[in-house]
Amino acid sequence: MRPGLVVPLALLGLWEAAARLAIVSPRYFPPPTAVGAGLVSHFVEGDLGAETLTTLARLAAAFALAAVTGVPLGLALGRIRALREAIDPYIAFLFPVPKIALLPFLLILLGVGEPAFVLTGAISAFFQITISTLAGVQTMDPRLLEVGRNYGAEGWRLFRRIILPAALPSIFTGLRLGLGLALVTIVAVEFVTAKSGLGHLVYRHWQMLSTVEMYGAFALVGALGLALTRGLGALQRRMLAWQEEPGIV
Amino acid sequence: MKGSRRLVSPLLLLAAWEWASAAGVVREAFFPRPSTILVHLRRLAMDGTLWSHTAATLTRVGWAFAAAAVLGVAIGLAMGLSRRLRDGLDPVFAVIYPIPSVLFLPLVSFLVPAGELATVITSAVTSFFLVAFSTTHGVRQIDRLVVEAAIHYGARGRRLFTAVLLPGALPHVFTGLRLGLGFALIVAVAVEIVAASRGLGALLWLSWQVLKVEDMYAIFFVIAAIGAALSYGLAAVRARLLPWVQDVATR
Repeated sequence: MRPGLVVPLALLGLWEAAARLAIVSPRYFPPPTAVGAGLVSHFVEGDLGAETLTTLARLAAAFALAAVTGVPLGLALGRIRALREAIDPYIAFLFPVPKIALLPFLLILLGVGEPAFVLTGAISAFFQITISTLAGVQTMDPRLLEVGRNYGAEGWRLFRRIILPAALPSIFTGLRLGLGLALVTIVAVEFVTAKSGLGHLVYRHWQMLSTVEMYGAFALVGALGLALTRGLGALQRRMLAWQEEPGIV
Repeated sequence: MKGSRRLVSPLLLLAAWEWASAAGVVREAFFPRPSTILVHLRRLAMDGTLWSHTAATLTRVGWAFAAAAVLGVAIGLAMGLSRRLRDGLDPVFAVIYPIPSVLFLPLVSFLVPAGELATVITSAVTSFFLVAFSTTHGVRQIDRLVVEAAIHYGARGRRLFTAVLLPGALPHVFTGLRLGLGFALIVAVAVEIVAASRGLGALLWLSWQVLKVEDMYAIFFVIAAIGAALSYGLAAVRARLLPWVQDVATR
């Protein structure tokens, strides 16, 4: 057994025992085995698979939208000073804002429905991706640029051969963080307004006090988040093996 | 001057917005004129609504951040120093951290009576992890040579801690605190939208439900301003208290 699993398993065991012996109320804290069994049966005959797919589809749309707009914008901001000065105030002002506060606006503009949910998730990822990409361009070693220029790289070639590879690790970090933020926002949006998705499942089962299902959906969101961030991290280490990851969180 | 040049583009945008909304290029029902929003902001401020809700939000953020900072730094330092603790807690944290904090609300509401305390604890969750992660990383990235040199010169226990480990980890601790403060606000607003009757998030949601669009913009502006103020405020505190400390992350 991997040593990393000892503590989590011990905690789960403790919870199991406490719930079975009714030290904690099994109504509010059902034993993990019951939650696990509930998860399996809901996947087999219930709506859990469909709800998970709904959340994943929203996440994919939001992430794609944010990546397609955020990376080019970040690159352009990093290279064009006038553009940076014009756009930077908005980014500085809007980046620390809770993106879920944008949801009501999108709901009036687009109506209650998928476009509003997806766009709220996309916006939260978009800012992170833009900012990380911009930082990647701005913190690149200026000597690389000079070397490139001295060897005759200009315009598109300079961009393609020098700037993009230098910014790639930051772009990847931005994408990874952005994916995590998009998941957080979309699940929160589901919790608040949407009538489907894993976030909504947690909300609905909380209201109905069907705690086994609630914890199941909760655990599924955690597993999803872990798999996505770990997966993208592994991809980053594989594809950018020559470079150490910049930034920590 | 750099500061005033940064204002050019926002001012132009506001002027264009004012004109477009007045001239009917965009629908005034959805994009009310900035001057109208300002009037509503003033009315909300004058009749006291804005203050009481802002105070509710800020109080929650304050308590959540304080709890997250104290616990996060303490546990982060311990995890940075003790390999066994790190090996034990890392996998637990790795699973819990990506779960959106709003989802903790039901769980927390089983543990403590729903209300103020549940909101504060929920808002503190993500913030705590960010502070703990950054602090752990901060301790671990300290140059081993520096630590060993200090030990050879006789630094032990408390002195090693205050003279070497804490200063070495501070830049990362501060980054964690800044990110954590931002997330405390984000989650507090989200929880208010879901479950509270007071606070800026609740007020924003209520304004949406009764379609007071001008009020929505005004409240959004206040939330954004608080977010910006907290973020840059903490950066300014760092620059003043610890001018030699660099902020390590890219915003």
